[in-house]
Amino acid sequence: MNSGELSPEVVFHIGWLQFTGTALTTLGIVAALGLLAWLLSKRLRDQPGALQTAAEAVFIAMEDAVRAVAPDHVKLLMPFVGTLWIFLVVANLTGLIPGLHSPTRDLSATAALAILVFLSVHWFGIRDQGLRSYLRHYVSPNPILLPFHVLSEITRTVALAVRLFGNMMSLEMAALLVLLVAGFLAPIPILMLHIIEALVQAYIFGMLALIYVAGGLQLQQLKQASQGKK
Amino acid sequence: MELNWTTFLLEILNFLVLLWLLKRFFYKPLQNAIARRQSAIQQQLDDARKMKKEAQRLQQSYENDLAALEQGREEAHAKLQRELNMEREKQEKHLTELLQQKRQKAHVIEQRQLRESHRQQEKQALEQGSRFAASLLQAGAGPELESRLLEFLLDALHKLPAEQRVSLQQSLAGQHGPVEVSSAFPLSAGQRQRIESGLNELSGHEVQSHFRQDEQLIAGLRIAIGPWVLGANLRDELEAFAHLEEAAPSE
Repeated sequence: MNSGELSPEVVFHIGWLQFTGTALTTLGIVAALGLLAWLLSKRLRDQPGALQTAAEAVFIAMEDAVRAVAPDHVKLLMPFVGTLWIFLVVANLTGLIPGLHSPTRDLSATAALAILVFLSVHWFGIRDQGLRSYLRHYVSPNPILLPFHVLSEITRTVALAVRLFGNMMSLEMAALLVLLVAGFLAPIPILMLHIIEALVQAYIFGMLALIYVAGGLQLQQLKQASQGKK
Repeated sequence: MELNWTTFLLEILNFLVLLWLLKRFFYKPLQNAIARRQSAIQQQLDDARKMKKEAQRLQQSYENDLAALEQGREEAHAKLQRELNMEREKQEKHLTELLQQKRQKAHVIEQRQLRESHRQQEKQALEQGSRFAASLLQAGAGPELESRLLEFLLDALHKLPAEQRVSLQQSLAGQHGPVEVSSAFPLSAGQRQRIESGLNELSGHEVQSHFRQDEQLIAGLRIAIGPWVLGANLRDELEAFAHLEEAAPSE
């Protein structure tokens, strides 16, 4: 929340590669989360401590959420969706640290995540049902619907990226503006708002990704179920 | 708000790396730990269920044993009660019989004592009667009475049954010495003559007689022939009267 710039500044160049603050922050988040996970994996006990209990609570909560949407594919979807939630929560909350920006206020980052979700939908769908069977749903019940399916895929992916980016960027901009107007009285409510917004946006993004992926997986099952009924 | 491709690619790469790291160091170990703990909990639950079943089985077994013991106790108690009742009845019967025997014995003793008392009273009454009669007869005794008793004796000698007569004759035959004739008052010669005649007639031969006076006889005569004693005197009669109870057959 230190700057009102819409585009993150490039920190350094390596040839044509431009390393922005977003990329470096993400790298730091990945390193921190990886280190934390590694340390946790070394300290797992049958009688859990406070950290392990918290980690298990997070894990079970995410697993239950995935099971509620796709009960037959919990093991398959849980790592991807869980990683999305964990990364987004941490990334969204990073903006609270003085001197750092939320990576998710950068459209490049949200677009990358949206593209990953887009690819995951097809990856899991094809992996589960096979290429022909999966692609067939684009032309069912009528090939006329193909353009609409394609359009739907593109728009929802763009919407996914832009929604997160817009919310996080606007949140930081609004916070900056409030700080400029209200001085030192507003930071705490703004911080509370930031936390809530970060959690909500992470939840929405992960849940939408889960719904999209589960939708791709369960289309074939619904089709088989309807054929079985006939 | 422009798209930086380097950032875009690095974000994808970073996310994939994070996905791998979390899968490797977070999801799998955590899942294994949870599964391990669930397995341990499940094992504990299974053990607890087994223990519960075992405890229920043992409880059932103990209850059955307790019921069997209770039943055995009740049966033993009932058996003991029956045996006690039988023993009590037996003892009661035995005591009743014993009591009955004692009562009978006491009754017999009482009857015997009563009879003895009656007999003593009777004996005493007879003795008193005899003494009274003796004193009364003694006062009234005299030669006249003795003469009548002599007549009575002689008449009795004549009327003796044949068996007694034979027996007397045999005694007289075996008699050594004179026959002793006792009288309360002195006998006259005629009276002595009549007695000797009677004895001679009875024996069929001459019988020597020795006469003597015995005031104890009060009135009348007594003739001793061997083991036989022919009496017609008040003393013998009174004594016979006094001992009438002894001569009567006992009950």
